Amino acid sequence: MSAVVVSSVTKTFNQGRTDEVVALSDVDLTVGDGEFVSLIGPSGCGKSTLLRLIADLIPPSTGTVTVAGKGAGTARKEQAYGIAFQQAGLFEWRTVLRNVELPLELRGMTKAARRTRAEQMLALVGLEDFGGHYPAQLSGGMQQRVAIARALAVQPPLLLMDEPFGALDEMTRERLQSELLGICAKTGTSTVFVTHSISEAVFLSDRVVVMSARPGRITASITVGLPSRDDAGRQSPAYFDKITEVRQALRGAPLKTAS
Amino acid sequence: MRKVLYAVIGLAVAVALWEGYKVVGSPDGTVLFGVRVLPRADDLSMPHVWTVLDRLGRPELTGGRPVWIVVVQACLFTLGITAAGFVIGALVGLLLAVAMERFRIVERGLLPYVILSQTVPLVALAPLVAGWGGTIMPAWATVSVIAAYLAFFPVAVGMLRGLQSPSASGVELMRSYAAGWWRTLVKLRFPASLPYLFPALRLAGAAAVVGAVVGEISTGTRGGIGRLIIEYSREATSDPAKVYTAMLGAALLGLVVAGLVSLLELPLMRHRRHVEVVTL
Amino acid sequence: MKWARSVLPPVAVGIAAIVAWELIVSLGRIAPFILPAPSAIWRELVAQRQNVWEAALASGANALIGLAGGAVLGVLAAMAASRFRPLTEVSLPFAAVLNALPIIALAPILNNMFESTSSIPRRLVTAIIVFFPVFVNTLRGLREVDPLHQELMHTYAASGWTFARKVRLPGALPYVFTGLRQASSLAVIAAVVAEYFGGLQTGLGSRITSAAAFTAYPRAWAFVVGACLLGLAFYLTTLLLERLAMPWRTRLIA
Repeated sequence: MSAVVVSSVTKTFNQGRTDEVVALSDVDLTVGDGEFVSLIGPSGCGKSTLLRLIADLIPPSTGTVTVAGKGAGTARKEQAYGIAFQQAGLFEWRTVLRNVELPLELRGMTKAARRTRAEQMLALVGLEDFGGHYPAQLSGGMQQRVAIARALAVQPPLLLMDEPFGALDEMTRERLQSELLGICAKTGTSTVFVTHSISEAVFLSDRVVVMSARPGRITASITVGLPSRDDAGRQSPAYFDKITEVRQALRGAPLKTAS
Repeated sequence: MRKVLYAVIGLAVAVALWEGYKVVGSPDGTVLFGVRVLPRADDLSMPHVWTVLDRLGRPELTGGRPVWIVVVQACLFTLGITAAGFVIGALVGLLLAVAMERFRIVERGLLPYVILSQTVPLVALAPLVAGWGGTIMPAWATVSVIAAYLAFFPVAVGMLRGLQSPSASGVELMRSYAAGWWRTLVKLRFPASLPYLFPALRLAGAAAVVGAVVGEISTGTRGGIGRLIIEYSREATSDPAKVYTAMLGAALLGLVVAGLVSLLELPLMRHRRHVEVVTL
Repeated sequence: MKWARSVLPPVAVGIAAIVAWELIVSLGRIAPFILPAPSAIWRELVAQRQNVWEAALASGANALIGLAGGAVLGVLAAMAASRFRPLTEVSLPFAAVLNALPIIALAPILNNMFESTSSIPRRLVTAIIVFFPVFVNTLRGLREVDPLHQELMHTYAASGWTFARKVRLPGALPYVFTGLRQASSLAVIAAVVAEYFGGLQTGLGSRITSAAAFTAYPRAWAFVVGACLLGLAFYLTTLLLERLAMPWRTRLIA
């Protein structure tokens, strides 16, 4: 069974009005179990829209979205995925630990169980010593790690990430990328990852899905398969080859629209 | 247009509540555990709305001028006091803000007291300021001093925030143009502070009205609307509608001042956003 | 060090101001009805401490009851108004207009409507005055919810009530306290000033007026100092409550 199946999905905003925008046109996407898929493309190509459709934050205009064999709405109500955004979006009035506990709380988990789980998740992102702190006391990178821990807290089979490292500096970004890969490998989570950065997409992904704008659609799907994902991997010729391939796919996209 | 409609609806609701309570409420009020928790609903305590309106048209004392003329004149008198207080207060506030912006040490030394001045009821000084009347200044001016005292604070705090609102990059840009403190103030800080200044001025206007009304009462200055409220309320047992006419006058004064202050900003604030000013 | 830098200037200014005041009054031979010397006020304050204390208790009780009543009503009304968008849009401009009116002038009318021998009228005036800042600020806080939080709670399939309890209310708390800070000083001011309009003669306001009427100006000033201390106590208590209610607002490390 696939983690996500998006079939013939179209999304139109402001339908029937003068400012109508076709954000996505006839998109098909399948994410396999345990697969790490990145969505990359220029601004306005609808990659965030696609992620929001999978998360059932907005409904598709036409077509269907299936998450883990269920409709996207059902999947959301069962908390079948965890989500993280560009902004950490932590609740400033809750301690770090209680932020991670929140999705568990809403699931009705007992206090002791969710405390244990939240502590595990914080340990996973290397913040076990900061559970009692408030978000305002953490750096941006640490906040983002808390947000990831929160997304992972319900141990979802699927992780949705919308440019989660976009607001961070390059050093922090690379460290978190490695951490994220480690976590996904450990938990076997499937991931859909929206990004602007070609190198980030190539380094993290099993497959990079390239999108183009006006109307938003998928123009290429590039399987990466790097030999290793560590600092050596970042220097390997295969890594640079794939970066070039994705860059060309991104460049080529507008030409294909014209033809 | 919609605002006018809302205003009419609001007034109608207020009148309906008033008259409605007069219908259902006990004439002697509701007493619970020896404490009157609901007001008396008899005509002496709560006259009918139309009685009040009718009272406006009839003479103040037998053979005197109609009440509404007296009330309007009192309002004009207080408006003058308020205006003087508002101008003094706003100027003091502006100067303080500029001084505090210019010298960090002044801000550190004075700002706590500026804030303190509002957390403590220094209006309580009003009866004491009364002693100044007729000796070092005319009696009405003491009321203006009290109004100014209440008005300066929102301006000082709002303006300080406004003057400090330009980003570091904006200030650095001015530095790169070799603009000195004064030119930075005129070209950058003043324009940037306008969205903060005007809401502050509106707060100051309302505060100046309160200051003028309270000031008149506590200094015993004759001729204004505050004094009229006290005089009329003493006649409440014989002529209950009268004090309400003075209340209407005070409300009118508040609205007029708010309107006048809003007029100030019209030419300057087109296409600009407003900023909420938090005063304390 | 940092502490000294923030405390030293105001303390220095305060001491300098009092010394200058004393010198100006005594050297300039200024009549006490214009401005009594701080030393004279201090002597009266010590002599009258029992009276000041009792009057402060009376005014403080009025202010506290008015503050509590007005604040609770303000928060409840804001919660009700935030549930219905049209109500919000109507009530905000209304509150702004009503706030421009000299509400304190209601005092004599309330004295008529209730009875001038009870404290109810001035507590009511205090409550009405307190209501507006609390209402306006709370409503603003309830309306401003981070869209990200909204989305996040949506992904958790949280119900409206859960959302209100876990996100909307705690998120509005800083705004509520902004309103309460303004309200706490307004409450004392209103409670003291409402006494100028007649009624029961137990509080600081009536003590100030009667002392001024007997031309006992240093004594009147002593009661003013009492009023200032009362206002300060209210304000600082609110600040303390704010600290306790919102521990996340302190930045311990950068």
